[in-house]
Amino acid sequence: MENLLRINNLTKRFGGLTAVNSVSLDVNIGEVIGLLGDNGAGKSTLIKMVSGVYLPDEGEMFFGGQKVNFSSPRDARDMGIETIYQDLALAENLDVGSNIFLGREILHTYLGGLIKTVNRTKMREEAVKALDRLNIRLPSLTQQVLNLSGGQRQAVAIARSIYWNAKLMIMDEPTAALGVSEQRKVLRLVNTLRDQGVPVIIISHNMQDVFAVATRIIVMRRGKKVGERMTNQTNPDEIVSLMVGAEEAQESGIDLNSADPE
Amino acid sequence: MTVGEKKESPTPRQETQLRKGKPDRASRLVFIRKVWAWIFLLFLVIGFSIASKQANDIDFVSLRSVQGILTYATQILLIGLGETLIIIVAGIDLSAGWVLGFSAVVGATVMQVLYASGASPFIVISVGMLSGILVAVIPGLINGILIARVKVPSFITTLGIGVLIEGVALLVSGGYPVVKQPPYLGQIGNSSVFYYWPDHGISFFKYPETAVQADLPNISVILPTIVLITMIVTAVVWFILAKTQFGHHLYAIGGNMEAAKRAGIPVQRTLIKVYILAAVLAGIGGVIWSARFSSGAYNAGETTTLNSIASVVIGGASLFGGEGTIIGTIVGALILATIQYGLVLLGVVPFWQFIAVGIVVIVAVIVDQFGRTLGR
Repeated sequence: MENLLRINNLTKRFGGLTAVNSVSLDVNIGEVIGLLGDNGAGKSTLIKMVSGVYLPDEGEMFFGGQKVNFSSPRDARDMGIETIYQDLALAENLDVGSNIFLGREILHTYLGGLIKTVNRTKMREEAVKALDRLNIRLPSLTQQVLNLSGGQRQAVAIARSIYWNAKLMIMDEPTAALGVSEQRKVLRLVNTLRDQGVPVIIISHNMQDVFAVATRIIVMRRGKKVGERMTNQTNPDEIVSLMVGAEEAQESGIDLNSADPE
Repeated sequence: MTVGEKKESPTPRQETQLRKGKPDRASRLVFIRKVWAWIFLLFLVIGFSIASKQANDIDFVSLRSVQGILTYATQILLIGLGETLIIIVAGIDLSAGWVLGFSAVVGATVMQVLYASGASPFIVISVGMLSGILVAVIPGLINGILIARVKVPSFITTLGIGVLIEGVALLVSGGYPVVKQPPYLGQIGNSSVFYYWPDHGISFFKYPETAVQADLPNISVILPTIVLITMIVTAVVWFILAKTQFGHHLYAIGGNMEAAKRAGIPVQRTLIKVYILAAVLAGIGGVIWSARFSSGAYNAGETTTLNSIASVVIGGASLFGGEGTIIGTIVGALILATIQYGLVLLGVVPFWQFIAVGIVVIVAVIVDQFGRTLGR
């Protein structure tokens, strides 16, 4: 499998708190990584370093074999790392096309560039292409996003990232606010992305989701990576115990039962 | 694993059902909210027609009253255009009426001085009006910077700047109307585009040279110049809002400012621009006021701000941002102007205007909310 993202010993401190402590991981093309951990385990901080929101204090990142230093989310996005947060960042009063082209509208030019108008028709046509690529069907493209369901909005956000040539997709709790059938659709989209050569990192609390789509699971606890398992070689019980720390204690050889370390 | 999942392409039944149900409801909601104001305007005209026929035996629907209503509407509309743009980005501009007065005072003062110094009419009018319009950029820029950069809520910022500008205009004018204007100023402000004299033809912008006092009642005066100017300005602002990237960004910012920022839209710059644009529109309103009344007064736009905001709300804009159109604001301004003109024509005590306008605004908000609940 071709490597896309490599993280070496990434560390981030906030004052006295080490939010991420020397974490290394690889993301390869064709993979879906499930990033699991309790609240405050450092998942979000790690992801924010990858997406350019935070600057790491230590460690290095390689993207497509090339060393990268992101000073802003824009840098990361220009490289093809797209992050979809829970709030999706859609302007709900606008239609699907306008959202896919938000901030990068297609323009008509008249009089040699003197007058420019927004080309809604073209934006809509391109939106259809982006949605088709992901097998997404929406009731109407002229409607405000406001009238779409949670899963459909998620699909629009994903389609937007794909349209702008995302090479790596990071999704923060993509199914948190969705009904069961909608969750399933979003997970199917994740698989579609993977099949099209876009690896996905999913942050989730939902063990079922992660087991449904992830090829590999990474567990974080208190800023450290405490476990990495292929999904088909582990089970939810093992992952939970990694998340809460029992497994880590066993792995590092401390006997929880013995009161006296001597 | 891959093959199995790929087969289930996402054509879920729920979405098909959605396709049938929701657009209908949504389009019905859009329809009601779009047309109710026009229907209301129609009823207003019918009501006034009956009332003025019975009370004074006057025909309400006439060239004269249509032009009267349009003239009333110009000032509300000019401020209302800027107010529409600002309300779309979820802001509000309470300073616009005072900026209008400030521009009227500054423009009139410049014209007074130039006229006294014996400058040519062209210089007096062009320099005077341009300075009146351009001076409005200052309060607009301050509003924009405070709101976009310092993050002071627009309500507070524009209230403060409005009162401040009122003070400056009072200082410049000494509290008196700025008079001693060139006679041609009032002629421009009260002229019309067409003067149609049956059997003699049409002349433009003034009465035919050959007409004497006795001929004047036979001449139809069509399209006041200030109405034409307001129409042109309105068309330009409509184009900016409905067609350009700047206008598109206003809707995006009003819909989700955070998303707009993340998408790389220059939110701060856009906000500053919109407050400047609104102030310039108020400035245009100010110099038009000067031309109409051959004067400049600090309180020229005193009641206009709230009427304009009312017209924007009647036109279907949401004070939460993201929604609103120029067409809507035009209808809103026409409704308010029709009420004002109609009540004057009926000889009703003018104070009733305020009560009528207040009722219409509240009805507009109720209709809007009713429409929204229907859409859910």
